[in-house]
Amino acid sequence: MTYESHSTEQTKKIAADFSKTLHGGEVIALIGDLGSGKTTFVQGIAEALGSTVRVKSPTFAIMHEYPVTHTLIKKIVHLDLYRFKQSVHLEALALEDEKNDHTVIFLEWPNMVDYLPAQPTQTITFTYKTENERTIEMKEISII
Amino acid sequence: MIRILGIETSCDETALALVTKGGAGELSVEKNEVLSQIIIHKEYGGVVPEVAARKHLEAIFPMLEHEISNEGEGIDAICVTAGPGLPPALRIGVEVAKTLSWLWQKPLIPVSHMEGHIYANWLMEGIKPGFPCLALIVSGGHTELILMRDHGKFERLGETIDDAAGEAFDKAAHMLGLPYPGGSNIAKLAECGNPHAYDFPRALLKDPNLNFSFAGLKTSLLYFLRKHESEITNEKFRKDVAASYQEAIVEVLIKKTARAVAQYRPKSAILAGGVAANTILRQRFLKEIGEFNKLPVSIPPMAYATDNAAMIAAAGCFRFGNEANYTNPLILFANPNLDLTVDVASSFAPSVFAKATTDKLELRQDKGNVPTAI
Repeated sequence: MTYESHSTEQTKKIAADFSKTLHGGEVIALIGDLGSGKTTFVQGIAEALGSTVRVKSPTFAIMHEYPVTHTLIKKIVHLDLYRFKQSVHLEALALEDEKNDHTVIFLEWPNMVDYLPAQPTQTITFTYKTENERTIEMKEISII
Repeated sequence: MIRILGIETSCDETALALVTKGGAGELSVEKNEVLSQIIIHKEYGGVVPEVAARKHLEAIFPMLEHEISNEGEGIDAICVTAGPGLPPALRIGVEVAKTLSWLWQKPLIPVSHMEGHIYANWLMEGIKPGFPCLALIVSGGHTELILMRDHGKFERLGETIDDAAGEAFDKAAHMLGLPYPGGSNIAKLAECGNPHAYDFPRALLKDPNLNFSFAGLKTSLLYFLRKHESEITNEKFRKDVAASYQEAIVEVLIKKTARAVAQYRPKSAILAGGVAANTILRQRFLKEIGEFNKLPVSIPPMAYATDNAAMIAAAGCFRFGNEANYTNPLILFANPNLDLTVDVASSFAPSVFAKATTDKLELRQDKGNVPTAI
């Protein structure tokens, strides 16, 4: 499924619609350049799931947690692996501890490393077309 | 005179401090110990929360043993950063503070990290910002405009809706191949560059609100560098890009602060947070916020602008004495999303310090004999 977005608001709306398909336990890889809309998308998800805290870019802190008030989902974890060069460094994040049925994990820049402690269940690819135009493509990952 | 122990572990500095407040309300720093983990996090290109937490844990007990008397003699209260910050890192400081409060039977005062940054401006001799006081807080994780109407009374006028200013510096440094931390490296490269060579976007500058946005700026740099790929090794080009990029950040910070001054007419203005180290920002703040408006402004020296515990203890000095600011050490928890504008103590379970003290007395009837089951 591919969507087109022409504004921050549209990206958030696409995210809010997508959030209705979530029920907890998902690990979602967000792929796309700097500024292609990844954090905006997570902002849309968090708002739709009832977070009272504004989602901010996780680049500085690497990992942010946001409590949400959804019936099944209690927490969103938002990670940015942009700075990681080796999979072994990921151990330091203790990501396995965050994986459970009440949490949805969003992983930015998952392809910076060759092994992920939490395997993505779906990918969302963001493409920067022009200053005000992005495409957002969603794909389920089938587990072999 | 009161003496407060401050503990700060919200990010990558393990910090302890002792600050005293005299009868006239003047603060003096007795101890200000900061152990930076920057060398450890350099390998990762930035702070990793779990690594930070483990390093805090390794550092904090030797620091306590070395700096603070075992029985907590002479200390009137313990003040700790309860948030915002990295969850695992915050928890170390909070758990240590809870334990000391319980063990020593001293009041526990949780404060916001941002409140600490503001109070860094009370640590300098002879400076007492007047109220209302406008604070521009800029760091790797935060960019906020706060109006402080009185001690403990904060109102958020604006904040970043995406990236913090410090983060915009870090990302630009990464794109230009400069090492972490990015801010100081960009500033160094920018020194001899032309700040008007290239025009980077000033987001939200025309918006009437006092919010900031730096995500678009970072994106524009990425595409700008892609377009000028052949020049990226040219030293003059790099210097001009760094200077122009820094100018875009500083201009937005200063103009929005100036707008807040015009709207709220504060009696003083202060700059706080790690990005306060940026020379251009300091100069422009002094000139365009201070001189132009004939407003008393203050900027803390580097040691108090970056993360430290003296600023946390300073905040505690002004909260000490009012039981509403105390928290039961058995129920305090770290809150990574703690909001400065929400009353800190009340954002935890009701303050029942008095009752907790009685409970502790029962548990500790035999002094020196640590209870085995709690």
